[in-house]
Amino acid sequence: MTSLAEQLPVQSSRKAGLLELRQLVVEYGSGQRRARAVDGVDLTINQGEVLGLAGESGCGKTTIASAVLQILRPPGRIAGGSILFEGQEILGRKEKELRQYRWRNVSIVLQSAMNALNPVMRVGDQFIDAMRAHEKIDRRHALARAGELLELVGIDRRRASSYPHQLSGGMRQRVVIAMALALEPELIILDEPTTALDVVVQREILQQVEALKRDFGFAVLFITHDLSLLLEFADRIAIMYAGEIVESAPAEAFATNPRHPYTQGLLKSFPPLTGPLPHLTGIPGAPPDLRDPPAGCRFHPRCPHCLPAEHALYLRQTTERPRLRTIEAGHQVACHLVEESAE
Amino acid sequence: MSQLEPTLDPALELSLEAPPHRIHRRFHVPGWVALLLANPKARLGAAMVLFVVVVAVIAPWISVDDPNAFDILAAKQAPSWNHLFGTTDQGSDIFSQVVVGARQSLLLGFFAAALATSVAAALGITAALVGGLVDDIVNVLINIFLVIPPIPLLIVMSGYTVNHGTTTMIVVLALVLWAFEARILRAQALSLKSRDFVDAARAAGEPTWRIVFSELVPNMISRIAAAFVLVFYIALLVDAGLEFLGLGDVSQTSWGVILYWAQTNSTVLQGEWWPFFFPGAALAFTVLGLVLLLAGIDEFTNPRLRSETQARRGWLRTLFGGSLASRKKAA
Amino acid sequence: MTSAAPLEVRSLTKQFPIGNAVRRAHVHAVDDVSFELRPGRITALVGESGSGKSTVARLLAHLYEPTGGAVLFEGSDVSRVRRRRDVLRYRSQVQIIFQDPFGSLNPVKTVRHHVERPLRIHRVVPSGQVEDRVHELLRTVGLVPPEDIAAKYPHELSGGQRQRVAIARALAVEPKVVLADEPISMLDVSIRIGILNLMQKLKEERGIAFLYVTHDLASARYVADDILVMYAGQIVEHGPVEEVLADPLHPYTRLLVSAVPDPATKTDAQQVELRHGDASAAVDPAEGCRFRARCPLAIEVCSQVTPQLVEARSRHTARCHVTAPAPTD
Repeated sequence: MTSLAEQLPVQSSRKAGLLELRQLVVEYGSGQRRARAVDGVDLTINQGEVLGLAGESGCGKTTIASAVLQILRPPGRIAGGSILFEGQEILGRKEKELRQYRWRNVSIVLQSAMNALNPVMRVGDQFIDAMRAHEKIDRRHALARAGELLELVGIDRRRASSYPHQLSGGMRQRVVIAMALALEPELIILDEPTTALDVVVQREILQQVEALKRDFGFAVLFITHDLSLLLEFADRIAIMYAGEIVESAPAEAFATNPRHPYTQGLLKSFPPLTGPLPHLTGIPGAPPDLRDPPAGCRFHPRCPHCLPAEHALYLRQTTERPRLRTIEAGHQVACHLVEESAE
Repeated sequence: MSQLEPTLDPALELSLEAPPHRIHRRFHVPGWVALLLANPKARLGAAMVLFVVVVAVIAPWISVDDPNAFDILAAKQAPSWNHLFGTTDQGSDIFSQVVVGARQSLLLGFFAAALATSVAAALGITAALVGGLVDDIVNVLINIFLVIPPIPLLIVMSGYTVNHGTTTMIVVLALVLWAFEARILRAQALSLKSRDFVDAARAAGEPTWRIVFSELVPNMISRIAAAFVLVFYIALLVDAGLEFLGLGDVSQTSWGVILYWAQTNSTVLQGEWWPFFFPGAALAFTVLGLVLLLAGIDEFTNPRLRSETQARRGWLRTLFGGSLASRKKAA
Repeated sequence: MTSAAPLEVRSLTKQFPIGNAVRRAHVHAVDDVSFELRPGRITALVGESGSGKSTVARLLAHLYEPTGGAVLFEGSDVSRVRRRRDVLRYRSQVQIIFQDPFGSLNPVKTVRHHVERPLRIHRVVPSGQVEDRVHELLRTVGLVPPEDIAAKYPHELSGGQRQRVAIARALAVEPKVVLADEPISMLDVSIRIGILNLMQKLKEERGIAFLYVTHDLASARYVADDILVMYAGQIVEHGPVEEVLADPLHPYTRLLVSAVPDPATKTDAQQVELRHGDASAAVDPAEGCRFRARCPLAIEVCSQVTPQLVEARSRHTARCHVTAPAPTD
């Protein structure tokens, strides 16, 4: 594709699982205030696919992004499990190897990253900085590459000499996405990439990302609270609640057949723009305090199907943590009720 | 918790909920004391200042009846067990002078700081909140007082005032020192003013003065406390300086005055270091304690996390203690 | 329920100066905005960031003074009153709820303080009854048990609970009009519906006129009766919410509708024709339609004459030369 691609060592792997999280555990704090932001998560992203990770505040989705890139800040730390990139363990790698891994294999666009651009540096210079931090490349080539990337995201390459404040929010976010693409990683993590943007700009950017994905073939981990976005743009979706994955399935399956009560509740929290307008209820209550999560199924205090009258089921719901089980091809759910009705 | 707070680290999010770790003793320790003691600089500084305050309080019991008594027989004696800090040219016990002087110096410093901080807070916050002409006037005032060099101003003012009593000194010091803090407090109030809760108070119909005292000040307590400590130690130094120059009340006993007499009597030239050293050391010790305290306050104010946790406990409750609050809860 | 509109906005305009004394320009944040708020109806004011919708809410809340136009409350212009007595009387009838549930509450004050203050300032009930009224208000917004909640500080509550406290505070004075400035955009998805349902309940039970400012079309459809669409400081479309969303007249509204992710209609992302542009307020704008640069229907007159709001269908107005042309005699 470009000269830079030729310089990079060949890394393509035909393995199915590009990124695999196995029973990942991330903790914050210590002693009494210890909380497990991510508690035993299994997740797989395949090459070239868009995996959406949805959940509300405090569910742990942003923590997973930080963990994958090994940029967790204390008091956060990885307390268990493994992260495999192309079959190789990431945890425990030295900082030098990690620097190679970051940005070249996996890059990230953080929430409100457009505000993280250095306000006193020109945009082009920031590209050069980012590239040279992870690659041996001279300024001229880096600048040329920056220009190519800006055009890829629909920004005039002459804007490389602009300062961030001279660009609109949407343009800044596209600059950050272009920077994430600079070294042609195999996986890009987008953490709430469009939350701070207007709906029209949001659609522009996501359409752009899709086009780029078609051209470059990278995989995307798309983290957001907006499930309706994922239904449109993701191939597969995983729902997180209180540090656990509660449902994972192809996007179409979510639209037609959501099984977990939390997923069902979430879907019913988005009023439709067209068609009949039912009275909605959302999900009463609030997500649990991760320092002291409910015993058994963490969703049970808010679940409409958790009824003391159903003695045996109720007992399981309040004492036993449900595990992710496959109920159909590619569709996994962690729910006692679903398990029992499948039997 | 909002998911749309990108700058808030998830780690911080969790610990925002936890109350500060209470030191469990028989008597209830107010929240702010616990936080203060948690910071090593503040701990040391507070201890030093407390020590000086205690000495000042018990001064009448540890000093001779009249620290300024003349006793030619005992004159010019180096420090010894009889006279811990030695004696002056007139035979006065320097130790007694220093401990009694502590009262005067601390009083001057405290009230000057209190007056200056009150004026700075009142003017600065009101100017920020009201804006417009009031803000312009206050700004002009602040600029005038900032531009005039403080020492010459003090000298001139002291030269003009007939009586150099304590009250005059306090007013003079406050006049010189209020402007600096006023600007800082105004800036902080400006940033708070843009927060929605101030608009919400306006929309509810709160009068301006209530917004200043009831909504803004409690959120600025740590900055105001820092301002107070700062002005306190500057006032101590400036006051000592003035007295050293003879512009203070030389009939009072305070550290600066002791230094003044030491200088007037040319004691160093006579090889007597103790009339200078001990009051100077006392002053330096106190100022150091205040500086450390200030550094500690700054430190625990800054991780915005900790200041917010403390502030949220209610400022009165924070200042005056957990015991009141817990008794109320039990009721 | 009378049909008289308690709050009427006429040609409201607000300009903010930018630049310095040498090169002074003006941002036309709100430009010639007119509408009515009727009792027992929720009117949505929809627009993207910078379109001026929050400024409108703050103008109506008497937190800013308008540059032009009038705000008529029960017939008389309140936009420029200064006397405390008059302002207070207005505030006892028109209240506002802000977007940030944490920022709109004073972190060092209890819930009780927040709900109590308006009761005391406006003397809604005698002193002895204040505590009971506080508990009643907390119950009305769904915060139970009220005695416990009243003693808590904002940081001890969840986002949804804080917003309910803000609503209780607004209700304390028994207002006729409540202005809600993006009340749910900073809340978790699963609790947004609860707040919207509460607004509907209050509208039905108390006949309050709501102004619901938002950028989210779907929530506007769910809760509102009428909708106003703003672009670059101007109202570009106005009408009953179902009709405007089902059959939008103004090209900008059509663009908004097509850009919203709607799981019901799009499971495969459709390519929408988008042209780059900015919805925010213009600086010293020229004559002509402010949307023309992005408009697929733009014709010559669009860059010469600023279109006016024209009632193209019954109670459905739009500001567009093409889809809602001014009637020619």
